[in-house]
Amino acid sequence: MTAPADIAPALAVTGLSKRFGASVALQDVDLAIGPGEVHAVLGENGSGKSTLIKILSGFHQPDAGTVAVAGQPLPFGNPASSYRLGARFVHQDLGLVDSIPVLDNLAIGAGFATRLGTISTRRSSERARKDLARVGLAVDPGASVGSLSPATRTGVAIARALREDPGAPVRLLVLDEPTATLPATEVERLMQIIRRVSGAGVGVLYVTHRLDEIFTIAGNVTVLRDGREVATVPTSSLDHRRLVDLLVGEELAVAHHEAETLQPERERPSGLEGRPGGERPALSLRGITAASLDGFSADFRAGQITGIAGITGSGRETVLGAAFGATGRTGEVMTAGGVRLAPSRPDLAMRHGLAYLPADRVRNAAILSLSARENIALSSLRPFRRFGTMWRRPERRTALSWFERLSVRPPGLVDLPLESFSGGNQQKIMFAKWLRREPAVFLLDEPTQGVDVGAKAVLHAQLVQAAAAGAAIVISSSDVDELAAICQRVIVCRDGRPAADLLGGEVSARAISRECLLGSAPATSGASPGGFPATASPTGGSLDQERSPGT
Amino acid sequence: MRITGKRPGFGFDRFSGLYLWALFILIFGIWEPHLFLTLGTVHSIASEQAVAALLGLAVVVPLATGAFDLSIGATANLSAVVVAILQSQQHWPMWPAIAAALLIGVLIGTVNGFIIVRLQVNAFIATLGMATIVGAVETIVSGNSQPQPPTSSTWASLTQFQILGFQAIFFYVIIVALISWWFLERTPAGRYMYATGGNGVAARLSGVRVGGWTWLSLIFSGTVAGLAGVLFSSQSGPSLTFGAALLLPAYAAAFLGSTQLRPGRFNVWGTVLAVFVLATGVYGVQLITSAQWLNDMFNGVALIVAVSFAVWRQRRARAEPAPAQPAESAPARADPGPGDGHHGSANGQSPGLRGSPAGDSAAPGRAP
Repeated sequence: MTAPADIAPALAVTGLSKRFGASVALQDVDLAIGPGEVHAVLGENGSGKSTLIKILSGFHQPDAGTVAVAGQPLPFGNPASSYRLGARFVHQDLGLVDSIPVLDNLAIGAGFATRLGTISTRRSSERARKDLARVGLAVDPGASVGSLSPATRTGVAIARALREDPGAPVRLLVLDEPTATLPATEVERLMQIIRRVSGAGVGVLYVTHRLDEIFTIAGNVTVLRDGREVATVPTSSLDHRRLVDLLVGEELAVAHHEAETLQPERERPSGLEGRPGGERPALSLRGITAASLDGFSADFRAGQITGIAGITGSGRETVLGAAFGATGRTGEVMTAGGVRLAPSRPDLAMRHGLAYLPADRVRNAAILSLSARENIALSSLRPFRRFGTMWRRPERRTALSWFERLSVRPPGLVDLPLESFSGGNQQKIMFAKWLRREPAVFLLDEPTQGVDVGAKAVLHAQLVQAAAAGAAIVISSSDVDELAAICQRVIVCRDGRPAADLLGGEVSARAISRECLLGSAPATSGASPGGFPATASPTGGSLDQERSPGT
Repeated sequence: MRITGKRPGFGFDRFSGLYLWALFILIFGIWEPHLFLTLGTVHSIASEQAVAALLGLAVVVPLATGAFDLSIGATANLSAVVVAILQSQQHWPMWPAIAAALLIGVLIGTVNGFIIVRLQVNAFIATLGMATIVGAVETIVSGNSQPQPPTSSTWASLTQFQILGFQAIFFYVIIVALISWWFLERTPAGRYMYATGGNGVAARLSGVRVGGWTWLSLIFSGTVAGLAGVLFSSQSGPSLTFGAALLLPAYAAAFLGSTQLRPGRFNVWGTVLAVFVLATGVYGVQLITSAQWLNDMFNGVALIVAVSFAVWRQRRARAEPAPAQPAESAPARADPGPGDGHHGSANGQSPGLRGSPAGDSAAPGRAP
């Protein structure tokens, strides 16, 4: 039990494997992080990163392999032992309470400094100040967390994770996409914090989607693809392009070719050139600015399925909600009829033929306490109303026909509350709710997230059918395979605006991933670590000019 | 299993109120057959509980939209005092006086709506404040002395006129219940209100004018509370203090009602059922013993037991179905929500059986 902790690697993973049913989440992964080393782990969604982290934190049990933290073997499936060995975790959702002071946030979990059972404010703040100083933050412990900048908030979460605990000194800090929701200007502050932590001899496992950060901060990189370790190399031996190749695979040209032969029909309705002269786009966005969007402009055509891709924070997750009016925005949204839509007015957007299925069904879309029938009916009650009264029979008939069309399980039970259906079936019901309006423009955020494979196929088929019937379908998704499977065109967002516009045969999962990740400063990686990622996105600029505004 | 079973065999949970009612009748019928098993019992329970039932109906509608209206007791009280003063001191004819009292209810509801929807104050706080203000107005109007009841015989017979042995007020309750039921269950407005209360964000993103419906529901509750006040004044004479004591029973009925007939949803007939089941129990108990505290004890215990049962049932039902949806909704609902911008949020996704609001609502109503 007296392992030489200072010499032993902070983390040593050997032969780690994990399967979920038939799918391989991790296959024979090795990973070693020395004390004071910042080690980046990269991979696309589903590559196994989160499984790895969950095994380290004691959430999952691996099928094979060993993990040692600071030389001590980690018993699996037990968060407490992971903590005891010195592993600390900061998740993307920081787990801070915004409304209370930094001090209290730090003390939650570890406990307050007390005197005679009463919180000793003086000693608590002293301790908090020390915790904050450890990560190089000079924040007033009395300030409420909500008033801090995003990077500082992440810093507070790190400070909390690194709190001194004599029984379990910190050996390893795992950061899961800490910069995903940080504005570019804030990233450098976080980098300083991380440098300080690693400088104190703590090993840092750093998960990110932003490649430029890796060159700034990480000494070594491990790339995962489909649960397998593709490479572990020193960052200095890589450049940006080479890293992207590792991530998405090198056979881009081959992928191109495949896509063309598989789906030749994609070329046809691609939109830009071969469109009927003078016809307005079904929906056009001009200079939309909101949350992570910064002057986003694009046109969407009737009869086409357009995908929107991008890493979290690129604007992908914001654009459709902003266009529909779910959130506020500035900029202009215009329909085919030439109507300018007011911001924050979903009802007006609906009146002009838009439909919007938000991400996070439970929070934003489903009304779980109402029945499936009532959820389906809600998008338009007019057909069921006669003489000021709702008539149940036509409503039931409509719901039943959609249940059949989308093969909702259990069949026919339209009067059950929505909460008694499974996730996939709930999503089918949400689709029914919007499709029955036959929208001219159907915007969907993460339409198949958390949906089983069978339901996914049904939902995709419905979208293809709706597009064939003349609707403009726009799908924003973090699942590049989904986009590649059904989209005729994919707009890739970076830094809040379109950076690439893939059409027809150019659409493939690899091409989308590549564009998502290429991002900032491909030539001079790491040269300007702190500043704004250079938004030199050539295609992004030309997008606006190419398309004459509809009028 | 639950998903495919259309409904549980005997409906022990949906109809538990009816079973309980039958049980009360059985017990008290055996215990005190000569006093309890009479038409007189039926008539007196029906008329004595009429005002409580009206206030229960008044709160069901805002609860359906997810907003608490704690001002209904005070509104009813002010309306009762005003309708009496206008007639006995200002010598207004009966109908204009009634119209004026109802208008006060409409006005209070409108102001409540403004504060909640436009100023985005949490409904719980807004209507609690409003209840206090209305109480102050009542003191100003009445000079803090109990007004004389109007002397005209039509005034008393407005509610006490007998039909088949029932006081007329019982039939007013039935009429208001029918209208509320039709409104909530059979009109688009009602559907939008349930959607708003079920998930305000989702409702807004479905094109529902969430704020407007919340506002309308508060006008409804204010108006019905005004009506309840008028009828109370006619039935029992104007009292300066009856309103506050009726607030808890109204919410008890609404929450109990949400476990009945259409479990998981505030509903009209469940509320009416709850009022009369509780009243029957209290009436029976009072025949057996004259202890003063039994009424309150009975109401309070019944509310907590019934709602705990409903929460347990709901959690069990929720634990069973469906992968792919962990318990996201629970934390969001735990707090009644000053942060919940739009409206007061009596409930997150389904009637607010969980979390604190139900419990908290008891406090303001218990003012002596």
